[in-house]
Amino acid sequence: MRRYLSTLLLLLLFLPSRPCAYAQVYSGERKFDGIHRNEVSANLAGGFNVVSGAFFGEAGTYTHHFTDRWSLSAGQQVQFLKWLCSADVMGTYRLPLGRTNLYFDGRLVNNFYTQWDQYEILINASAFWETSHFDLRLGMSYIHYYKYKIKEEYQWFTDAGYTEPPTITFGVGLNLLPRTSSWNLGLFLRNYDQFYYENWNINWGIRFHATLPWNEMKLFGEFNIRPAGSLSQLATRYETSLKMGIKYVW
Amino acid sequence: MKTTYLLAGLLLATFTLSSCHTLEEKISPAGILIAGTAVEDRIDMSYNFFLNHYDDVVYLAAEDDYTFLVGADSHVTTDPGRMDEMLAIGLRDDDLFYAHLGDIADTKARYYITLDSLLQEGKKRYVAAHYREIDPFHYVSDRNPDENPLTLTYDEIVFPFFPVVGNHDITRNGWALWSSIFHSSFYEIDVVVFLKDGDIAFDHLIFLDSASGTLGQTQIKLIEEGVLNGKYLTGGYRNTFVFSHTNIFRPQFNEFASTFTREETFYLLDKFEEWNVSCVFCGHVHMWDERNYNGVHYLTLEAMSERNNPDPGDYLVRIHVGADGSLSWTPVHMNYTPKR
Repeated sequence: MRRYLSTLLLLLLFLPSRPCAYAQVYSGERKFDGIHRNEVSANLAGGFNVVSGAFFGEAGTYTHHFTDRWSLSAGQQVQFLKWLCSADVMGTYRLPLGRTNLYFDGRLVNNFYTQWDQYEILINASAFWETSHFDLRLGMSYIHYYKYKIKEEYQWFTDAGYTEPPTITFGVGLNLLPRTSSWNLGLFLRNYDQFYYENWNINWGIRFHATLPWNEMKLFGEFNIRPAGSLSQLATRYETSLKMGIKYVW
Repeated sequence: MKTTYLLAGLLLATFTLSSCHTLEEKISPAGILIAGTAVEDRIDMSYNFFLNHYDDVVYLAAEDDYTFLVGADSHVTTDPGRMDEMLAIGLRDDDLFYAHLGDIADTKARYYITLDSLLQEGKKRYVAAHYREIDPFHYVSDRNPDENPLTLTYDEIVFPFFPVVGNHDITRNGWALWSSIFHSSFYEIDVVVFLKDGDIAFDHLIFLDSASGTLGQTQIKLIEEGVLNGKYLTGGYRNTFVFSHTNIFRPQFNEFASTFTREETFYLLDKFEEWNVSCVFCGHVHMWDERNYNGVHYLTLEAMSERNNPDPGDYLVRIHVGADGSLSWTPVHMNYTPKR
């Protein structure tokens, strides 16, 4: 039984293919591969959160490479039982630095936590340095949230809204194999995810991707642990989630 | 190849740590710092105590208008000067009760012995000031305007010092030390206000366990079941005050203590509105902040610890509750400077 399982795992990991370019989720190099200007990713996600309990949902992102340097992405997610709807747009400029790349990302995210009537607007500007085995993101977030249903006697954007002080964005990633490999496994530790930016609560986990036999498709996934109170040195279980999806380029 | 083996080792270590994290709820992302007792266990213990001692604190009684004193992050070590000063100020100015917003002492047994002695001494002074001895073993409160006030033994008299637990209170064996004195980190108390015109008003105090940066599943479940909706009154409170260690709002950019995560922040903001909370008191960040959010007032307090703030300053807050239920607050100055 163990032999069958290990064979299946190896088959999944060593699917014959060539590397291709992907952007927003973990799936190899982010840069334009010179052939495929369009990318679309779709994933299912599920997990457990202390506040909302079990949840599941989907997310999707479309990316267009205008040139070798400039690209634009737009995405959305819906998480059921957490009752969260999100949308984002992101513009990216790539600056080659020797054998590595430095990406400058500007991003606008809108979240709507429907069960608590809270809207959240996030603006993030960050630099993402990508090397063969390592990546690092540093940046800054502007986070504003407000109550959709305010009490009649209170004023819009004064008593019913809050802007956090500027928040540092940080994240590191480590790959088992060179980034151009057709499959990879990696670790990450960061204070953001695809649709949220925290202040000092970090999340961490394991990510993988593998190119499918059809060269234009990749399988990707992420196991994410999101503790509460992590920078108070007492990390406590808050959310655990799993994400699995497919990317297609053309 | 060596790099690949090294990275593979790191991956394996991560799997191991992540499993521990999920199962035990006690390991930080670094896998080093141990939190001791997880929030779910603390709430189980606290709620059990709450049920078994449901009527220990029947209510706090006030006449017409009253004040209470709030302090945060005393981090008592060998020098309990500021804590002693807080107790003395409350007694001098006749505050109805004290609320402490957590991180009361750093987690060493001898610090808790010092703290316990201080609170025992505080109770003696409180009983001497506010109770009348009717026989060698029984006392009657001078404060309770009730025509037939309860006759209590010394042990039955509750010293009105109500803390919440903080993250520094639960490191290592902290919870064992903290709970041996205070027993419960999740509770509520009613304030019965006897008004001059003969009416009675009720105010409500809610104490949350947010020491882990999350309320945890059990506490949220109990809140949703209405455990904190009032012992005697469900709704109809004139004022509700909430006390939490972890803060909701970050006072400044260069403040590096973690607050609640996104969903929990929004859950709490919504819950405070549902409870019709007048004011939420928070500590944790050692920085002052005051703001309104959709009709709820939020005060985040400076640390009163002599180690963090050695110079005299306004580290406490006094809340004035008027006979008509109106609220105001004033900063309270502390003069104690640590021994050098």
